[in-house]
Amino acid sequence: MTQRAAVATEGATAARLPDGAGRQRRGAKQNLIGWSFALPFLVLFAVFVAGPILASLGMSFTDMRIADIRNPFAVDIVGFENYAALFQDERFLRAAANTAYFVVVAMPLTMAAGLAIALGLNQAIVKFRTVFRVGFYLPVVASVVAISVVWRLILNEETGLINGILGVFGIDGPGWLTTPELAMPSIIAMTVWRNLGYQMVIFLAGLQAIPLMLYEAADIDGANRWAKFRYVTLPLLRPTLLFSAVITLIGYLQFFEEPFVMTEGGPLDATLSVSMYVINQFGFGNYGYAASISYVLFLAIAVLTFIVFRFLRPQD
Amino acid sequence: MMSTWRRALMPLAVVIVLVAACGRSDDGDGEAGETATTQAAAVEEGPATGTISVWAMGTEGDNLGVLGDAFKADNPDATVEATAVPWDAAHDRISTALAGQETPDSSLIGTTWMGEFASTGGLDPTPENIDPSAFFEGAWNTGVVDGVSYGIPWYVETRLLYYRTDLAEQAGFDAPPANWEELKQLAQGMAEQGGAEHAISLQPGGTGAWQTFMPFVWQAGGDILDESGNFTLDSEATTAALDYYRSYFDEGLSPESLEVGALEQGFADGTIGMFISGPWMMGIVTDAGAEEGTWDVALLPEGEASRTSFVGGGDMAVFTDAANRETAWKFVEFVSRPETQLLWYETVSDLPSVEAAWDDPALADDERLARFGEQLQDAKSPPAIATWEQIADVIDTQLEQAILGGVTSADAVAAMQQEATTIGTGQ
Repeated sequence: MTQRAAVATEGATAARLPDGAGRQRRGAKQNLIGWSFALPFLVLFAVFVAGPILASLGMSFTDMRIADIRNPFAVDIVGFENYAALFQDERFLRAAANTAYFVVVAMPLTMAAGLAIALGLNQAIVKFRTVFRVGFYLPVVASVVAISVVWRLILNEETGLINGILGVFGIDGPGWLTTPELAMPSIIAMTVWRNLGYQMVIFLAGLQAIPLMLYEAADIDGANRWAKFRYVTLPLLRPTLLFSAVITLIGYLQFFEEPFVMTEGGPLDATLSVSMYVINQFGFGNYGYAASISYVLFLAIAVLTFIVFRFLRPQD
Repeated sequence: MMSTWRRALMPLAVVIVLVAACGRSDDGDGEAGETATTQAAAVEEGPATGTISVWAMGTEGDNLGVLGDAFKADNPDATVEATAVPWDAAHDRISTALAGQETPDSSLIGTTWMGEFASTGGLDPTPENIDPSAFFEGAWNTGVVDGVSYGIPWYVETRLLYYRTDLAEQAGFDAPPANWEELKQLAQGMAEQGGAEHAISLQPGGTGAWQTFMPFVWQAGGDILDESGNFTLDSEATTAALDYYRSYFDEGLSPESLEVGALEQGFADGTIGMFISGPWMMGIVTDAGAEEGTWDVALLPEGEASRTSFVGGGDMAVFTDAANRETAWKFVEFVSRPETQLLWYETVSDLPSVEAAWDDPALADDERLARFGEQLQDAKSPPAIATWEQIADVIDTQLEQAILGGVTSADAVAAMQQEATTIGTGQ
């Protein structure tokens, strides 16, 4: 309170000065006060956020290994060597391809499923709407690790629920997580199931923000269901789609827990993701190399997010 | 304009200052010399004094107080402060402690971490008053990095062949298989006459598969490094070992995947005839319902060169940044005494790393345990190099490529060698 009062008095005095010098002094003083208010945050941000980020960026240009932890500055600067090595590293390329596969398949599926359920809950299902909402949202609230453990049991080749059901029909189900070609689709199926509840909530909010009179106008114009969806719902849902696409993209590019718990990246590296590879390399003590992978992933996220923004930005 | 420029250049200036401070110093390399194992000067004699902090993981961490009390009984002026650290967090906590130079005085260290942590310069070389010949050779070597010893083996474990004696009898074996050929015959017999679904469970890849696979390489006369520190993973012995190992999968004698818990259950039910594992499995198969008289443990079958097994366990090291180095080493020496090793065996069932302790009836009279003791005479550990965990991952991955991915043994072995050479030994 006293400080604000001081600002006010200062301001009043400065305002009486006719020349530009006074205005400048007043500006400088206000600046100073402003910065001093921001200082606690700035210090915390610099020490705990900006510092580590810059340090890890710097680290990605060195050959730092676990052997250097007692003398972190006694490392050699290797420039872009880590980054160059990365693109020769077959396992990294495999991890990048797996991550791309995961995002390209799982992202549209999750969004489409979330949107479909939101549309259903918004229009068709009136009874038990809350029950359905809670039901679809529940997996989002549960811990990924717990869910992954349960799904690992469900997908078990010998004793799992899915192969048990298939067995009733005389089908000998495959090893969902132990066959290289099926492991990633199995993980994608689980991820879509887990995340569609979140998408559903976002889309439901977006749908309810669309004014009903637009649909009434479309009815008068003789639009059918599809036309209403295509020309009213979708365009007006654009901001919601953008938000949900960006959130999903960023989350999926960093997918980690599912393969970590369910397959450890196997079989034959079929589910090794970039985030998992970073963790592995940190675990091996290759700090410089691991940091460079993180920054490649960061760059990929930034560029792809930018593209999504461009693609789905609101049109006037 | 000026101020904008200055602002833009500030981070650059910071970076330049940091960069100028970087660069490896040249000293510190090649201290090892020619001798087999170098040790530091002996710790002074006399009772220990002061307080030391010791970290240990798992059961060892929970029960370390027992050793602390025994140590205090001998040295009334010394106190051991035990801290239990979960195994999952241990590697990170020790790394962080080393980085911050805020370490405890001593800690339990996983045998395969020794190379990595010793390379930081944070471990204190073992003083001369600790006698290497008291320990099993394979176990002692887990602490030897580049010719210098950085700690003692606290407890050990080694791998034996677990087999169903009833199935073996049906296959015409009244003694355990002595060599590779007999092991194969026994496996075939267990599958055909014994009706075992899986004759022998071997790990087809995945984390830690090297612990099952590398003994076969050693038995065939191969190794990971030669004497001058070059990788020799593409030797004929490794190829032969991989050919032999994979033949169990190609002939359908080993399962390509096994769920957690299926091994002990299958062994107890007689659907799995054999597997290779450590002493902890004795209790687990009994708990799973395996009846006495239906199973036994045996030395690993002999290959071209030997019947070498894998030796693991835990080492105890003292840190360079220890506040009370003298007392810490005195405690380590105390832990390595045969009577302390026996006390520890009675407390947590950890097998002694000191040969003399195995003469005690508690171990010598237990036939199965005694066989572990016998196998320890011929058991090896991987080289204690800074990059070991990464090399192990390469072996695990290529093993999986060969067995599940259909890559030929020669190609898989060549890939192991090539990747290991790229990674290097961290020197």
